[in-house]
Amino acid sequence: MTKLMEWLFGVSVVLAAWVLVAFDPLDLSVPHTYREVALPMPLYLLVSFGCYSLATVGYRVATFNDCKEAAEELRDQIKEAKEDLRRKGLKI
Amino acid sequence: MATGVDQAAGMSLIVFSLMLFTYYSIWVIVLPFMDSDHVLHMYFLPREYSVILPGIAAVVLLLCIGAFTAIVLWKNQKTKKVN
Repeated sequence: MTKLMEWLFGVSVVLAAWVLVAFDPLDLSVPHTYREVALPMPLYLLVSFGCYSLATVGYRVATFNDCKEAAEELRDQIKEAKEDLRRKGLKI
Repeated sequence: MATGVDQAAGMSLIVFSLMLFTYYSIWVIVLPFMDSDHVLHMYFLPREYSVILPGIAAVVLLLCIGAFTAIVLWKNQKTKKVN
């Protein structure tokens, strides 16, 4: 089984579980509080993934070492690139 | 370790995302299990907003990206016309 098939299988299992709890299509009389918690689950996972990304970016910004030479080199390269682009006609 | 502003910016990002995650988790997961007369409910908006507010945030984000793209393309077009 290819990786794509594995991922699709996993995703469809999770999706089926969510639909079962949130929408109660088989009328299994799922308790109301469980339905209320399960319904916004996709949005909640998206928000928590966004928070995790933000925290990771913040952590890497806070722990990144300063490297003076690389900063100088980068500044020169940026100037060079801007000159080159300006010559070719792109205005920034 | 990075210094000064970098560290402050990074730490503030981490703290902000932690606070957002905790508030949203309690809002979505913990509140439905609390009785409706529990004192915790005072600190949270009605639950419809837990869906509406992220939706509005997503729309605003898309608008900002679109506006930035439009401005850059427009400036580029304008200077091309002048040349």
